[in-house]
Amino acid sequence: MRLQGGGMAWLALLLVLAVGVIVDARETSDALQLANPDPIRSAQVRETFARLPAQALVLVAMDPDLGTYAEIRPTLRAALDDLLRGGASLAFVSVTAEGRAIAAAELERLRDLGTADEVLLDLGFVSGAEAGMVRLVGGALPVGASGPVADAIGAGGGGIGAFQMVLLVGGIDIGPRSWVEQVGTRLPALPMVAIAPTFMQPELAPYLRTGQLAGLLATVRDGATYSQAVAADRFVLLSDEPRGDRPPSSLAVLLGMLIAVGVLGRQLLGSLPGLEGPVPAAPVEEEQS
Amino acid sequence: MSGFFADGLAGTVATWSAALVTIGVWAYLVGERRFFRLAQHLLAGLATGYLVLLAVREVLVPRLLQPMVSDPGANALLWPALALTVAMAGARWLPRPVVAIPVAVLVAGTAAFALGGAVAGTLLPQMAGAVLAPGLAPGAVLNGIIGLLITVLVLIAFLHGAPRRRVLVGAAGAGRWLLLAGIGGWLGFLLVSRLTLLIDRVGFLLGDWLRIIR
Repeated sequence: MRLQGGGMAWLALLLVLAVGVIVDARETSDALQLANPDPIRSAQVRETFARLPAQALVLVAMDPDLGTYAEIRPTLRAALDDLLRGGASLAFVSVTAEGRAIAAAELERLRDLGTADEVLLDLGFVSGAEAGMVRLVGGALPVGASGPVADAIGAGGGGIGAFQMVLLVGGIDIGPRSWVEQVGTRLPALPMVAIAPTFMQPELAPYLRTGQLAGLLATVRDGATYSQAVAADRFVLLSDEPRGDRPPSSLAVLLGMLIAVGVLGRQLLGSLPGLEGPVPAAPVEEEQS
Repeated sequence: MSGFFADGLAGTVATWSAALVTIGVWAYLVGERRFFRLAQHLLAGLATGYLVLLAVREVLVPRLLQPMVSDPGANALLWPALALTVAMAGARWLPRPVVAIPVAVLVAGTAAFALGGAVAGTLLPQMAGAVLAPGLAPGAVLNGIIGLLITVLVLIAFLHGAPRRRVLVGAAGAGRWLLLAGIGGWLGFLLVSRLTLLIDRVGFLLGDWLRIIR
């Protein structure tokens, strides 16, 4: 039996996996290191965090989407780790359904890692998209919310004005731009830092330039630089593994690139008529006499 | 590592399910559409069920029904909200003029918030940010001039129906190319974004599932 097309692709994938097992990739797959890290954006975010007062209240506006969250997940976890280590209390809120699912999972993960309940608060899902954001400015506490973070928000007026910073986590749907437009215009003194997927960089960079965003991590490079800085600090200060993600392993990067190049190459070769092989001859109809 | 799955039996089942669905979606690349379609249906079904639960548990019950039941007099504005909700839910069977009211309220409210926010939060601050103030560094001035030039050229490219002279035709052509260059740059960001997601999935399969890498 001769393998073709899809069969060959599966065989190639199995071969790669087998090589990974044989060479024991656990010993060889170091975490990805950046050859040319750009520390400017990372430093901006860290400076904004450093300016927060002790025991600051930070609102985490979790509106990523399931399709792109994997890209920003390591950066977000590093940021949460950074904030918690700095003594901040975090309150999570979402105005999108997907964001709410991810927020619930992240809260659960933080609790599993031993983060004290006293520094976490789930403000839940707020319906109405932009209208919901405006409503949050006046009152963010859901009915029945309790605990030290809820008390602190209540003492600060109950709305977003009680927070010292907002960490905007964006995706395809409603994201940092909507927060800047709806909440930033009503609370211009409130610093906002955004973490978003790479494709949102052109949309969000202008807000950083005008100062409407105090910090922005919207490329893989910025995110990796920031995560490395947080992990290095944590290791130096506490000799401890960070609570954030490890950067992707170099083997996963290599394999992902190979798959992507393979798929793109296959499409390219398929679209060039001369490379598809000889055109099969048209069947000749026999003349019926 | 996604960090979402625990080490117990539930975590193992979740990891295996996620791995199998990932491979099922990738099967589309090699022409196997049945697994891909199954994954699509699974996603659509789960998303619909989740949305219904979210709407009922986090919106309708705590924000609409409970306040109305606990203190109907103090929440008078919730009665029209309930009427609008019922009209939306029964849109299929109710006459069109009745359904048009909640739809109009919804569309008008959304448009008002979005437009107001776009003008106050984006248009005006960005225009103010683009103004070249005296005393700027030469690099910033040059940057601003280039930005202004590109904006003008791209706007000229959208001049349709107006009589054009030779200069305007050339400027519109340059504007179109600049627009294409911008879209190309954005597609580059999108490609990097998607590649990162692919790498994450490969990392999940090799790390969380097969445990080949840490």
